[in-house]
Amino acid sequence: MKKTIIVLLVALLTASFAFAQSGAETAAANDGPVTISMLYSATQTEAGALPADWAGYAVLENELGIKLELQMLPSNPNDQDLMVRAMAAADELPDFFTCSREVWADLAKNGQVLDVTDYYKDMPNRCAVMFDDAAKNFVTYEGRIYGFATPSAIAGNEGLLVRKDWLDNLGLAVPTTLDELYDVMYAFTYNDPDGNGKNDTYGYGAFVEETLSYEIYPGRRFEPLMGAFGVEGTWNMNASEFGLRIHDEHYYDWMVFFKKCIDNGVIDPNWMSYKKDDFRAAWKQGKFGIFREQNSAYAGENNYAPFDANFPNGSFVVVDAPIGPYGQSVGPLCQGMRVYAINADVDAKKAAKIVEMFDWMSYGEGYLLCGYGEEGKNYVLDAQGLPQSDASLGDLGYAQSKGQAYIQLRNCAFNYSNAQEIALRYPGYTTKVSQKYMSAGDVLLEMQKKTWTATPGQNSMPKPDTTDVSTFYQQGIAEFLNGTRALTEANWKAFVAQFDAIGGLVWEAQGLEYAQANGILQ
Amino acid sequence: MRSGKNYALSLEIDQLKAQKREVCLRLKEAKTQKNESDIQRVTEELKDVSAQLSEKKRAFSKSENQVLFAEMNRHKFIYFMLIIPLVYYFIFKYIPIWNAQIAFRNFISLKRTGITGGTWVGLENFKTFIGSYYFWDLIRNTLMYSFGKLLVSLPMSILLSIAIYECTAKYLRKIVQTLSYLPHFLSWVIMYGILLALLSPSQGILNDIIKLFGGTPKNFLTDVHAFPVIVILSDAWKEMGWSAIIFIAALMGIDGTLFEAATVEGANSWQRVRYITLPSIKPVIVVVLLMKIGTILDAGFNQLYMLYSPAVYSVGDIIDTWVYRGTINGQFSLATAAGIFKGVIGMSLLFISNWASKKVTENSLF
Repeated sequence: MKKTIIVLLVALLTASFAFAQSGAETAAANDGPVTISMLYSATQTEAGALPADWAGYAVLENELGIKLELQMLPSNPNDQDLMVRAMAAADELPDFFTCSREVWADLAKNGQVLDVTDYYKDMPNRCAVMFDDAAKNFVTYEGRIYGFATPSAIAGNEGLLVRKDWLDNLGLAVPTTLDELYDVMYAFTYNDPDGNGKNDTYGYGAFVEETLSYEIYPGRRFEPLMGAFGVEGTWNMNASEFGLRIHDEHYYDWMVFFKKCIDNGVIDPNWMSYKKDDFRAAWKQGKFGIFREQNSAYAGENNYAPFDANFPNGSFVVVDAPIGPYGQSVGPLCQGMRVYAINADVDAKKAAKIVEMFDWMSYGEGYLLCGYGEEGKNYVLDAQGLPQSDASLGDLGYAQSKGQAYIQLRNCAFNYSNAQEIALRYPGYTTKVSQKYMSAGDVLLEMQKKTWTATPGQNSMPKPDTTDVSTFYQQGIAEFLNGTRALTEANWKAFVAQFDAIGGLVWEAQGLEYAQANGILQ
Repeated sequence: MRSGKNYALSLEIDQLKAQKREVCLRLKEAKTQKNESDIQRVTEELKDVSAQLSEKKRAFSKSENQVLFAEMNRHKFIYFMLIIPLVYYFIFKYIPIWNAQIAFRNFISLKRTGITGGTWVGLENFKTFIGSYYFWDLIRNTLMYSFGKLLVSLPMSILLSIAIYECTAKYLRKIVQTLSYLPHFLSWVIMYGILLALLSPSQGILNDIIKLFGGTPKNFLTDVHAFPVIVILSDAWKEMGWSAIIFIAALMGIDGTLFEAATVEGANSWQRVRYITLPSIKPVIVVVLLMKIGTILDAGFNQLYMLYSPAVYSVGDIIDTWVYRGTINGQFSLATAAGIFKGVIGMSLLFISNWASKKVTENSLF
């Protein structure tokens, strides 16, 4: 009996290993297309994975000899980092993947990504539209290039929005200073701006959206207010004043103003609890009248539709950040970069194929398939030969609900700096209910004109070494704001001193060293 | 399972044991009287009885093993079914114990350093964890939620199971049972949405009621006093029905004649619960309690990760959430060290509780 059990156990384990190995052996033995596994950041995670009938798969296999196997990253940047790090730790990284610079830096240090310095010349089409020196420096480690840094988003694509119909209802002008903005926030909260007879609106709305290295707690949605005190972003990148913003002499003034807004109830009190979707649902339901939002999340056809249905007479205006006692800024501005890297274990033949595919994605047919989908199915060409998400395509048009799934590789194609590309990405449309013309592209141009703080490279600044430092920072600020700690000058100084003691100063020194080494001080 | 032969052997062993005890007493008496000849004679007798006892025990053990193997052979297909869980436990529970040594090393990845190739750093990662500025806060919060959930959820599950068991209206019982299970199948993401709808300071139902009575709305999810209560109660709400299943199963095993006899004797419902139901399911309660104590430092990562925010880190941050934030930075060795720390504490508590339970209630896991 004992023998039987042992034999069965061994047989079961052997069979498991045999099955696990069989896939690799088949691939090795097959002289057909080269299989490339790729981890990608989707254009819109909520639209779902790239469908199996995406025409690009067949083109890649038939014309380039590549069998592409895709895996989508989660939408949350922290989850993305964790996923890539876990894969790297288990040596399960795909052949080609995208990740944050911070993760990439660790992988490069550990020898887990391929030196691609000599592969740039094999991407003439992509190099023609991107990869300047700054992009190459972004992924350089000890003098060699270990990845491809491509633009991850359009710089300056967010702005401060104010409900224009509420301003009109209350007879208020567009606010330009911080005091005026506060008055509008107050009026939006207490003067029934929507005229429904209920006290159910707030002035300002937000949620906590932070990146430790760049836009730390309370995060980017409050930066138009923080900018009035000159404390937007994590760092002051000015060479003569470099340091963490929390050390800025005006940070306490910002905290006092922020606390006043909270105590007087002019900020939607859910801001500490809202997730991104809750926040977006809230402004579409008319819960608050002032907020910072991304151009497409505000004016994209699908995104604006619920607001249009709820408030056919409602409208927004993109305003400049308020002028405050110490500054004015929508937030820190720097070109977001996405790093693409090749697994160090990939052989030269496969690496060449990956580079070929990456170049293919940046021009001609590959660019169109990644950026707009399949002609006749997801787009039609207009008289100028430009792809359009035509109404005749129904839901499958690339700007429509089902069609969005076919452009999930758009981040691999677009360079986000071409005016024509932006116009095509954000086609104008007429809203279904209020029948007004909207264009996320026009909104983008408007947002980019506003006052930003130029800090190129800030998004690559280091995070603190330990969780304790960031926890102390976030928890301390939050506790001052929710009243757990009394916000007095003495308490604030004690808090900052304690923050410095547990690692804040070390983090600041690391930041300075990095900024100097990479020439990103202003 | 015991054969007739074994039964006879066990009787013989019992007799020999009694005989040995009697000889031991006689030897003690002889020693007291310092009668050398008696001592020598009784000692020889004792040796003889001990030898017989050992022989019988060996025979009994051999026979028992033969019977056991015969029984296993008879039920071999049922034993085959054990293979899958055994393989599962081997792969997912025992192999990782070997991998846990990365807590003592500077681990990078399986290929670069492997499990054993990272620089040996000794207890450095444990020191980092224990030396954390928040270490005691993390321990306190973790234990607070673990014990809080144990103290609230377990009694509620028992009460619910008894209520369902005692309910005589068949359809009501089924409806209550189904409704109480349902929240278990909702993820904490969904639960968070429900809680936000209930507790939001602007449009939450609870705050609407507070406002109706002239009170000031409160942001429960960011209030350090309210947050722990929400965590514990929402967990009870979500898991109470599911946890009650095991108790309902135990209740189903109670001999119905006990209740009939109690009713005939004039016992009311409360007395039946107190004197029949609760004592009957006591062993199950003890087992469930012991198993929960073994994982006492698992305070519910999914729940807290969804519900907490920096405003309530002081009462909401537990070991797992702290480790998660560190793991995002790639600190796998540190995360493993924290995991080992939790495991050692949990196992120690399990042994202590098991021992205490055996002493006090005569029920135990092992």
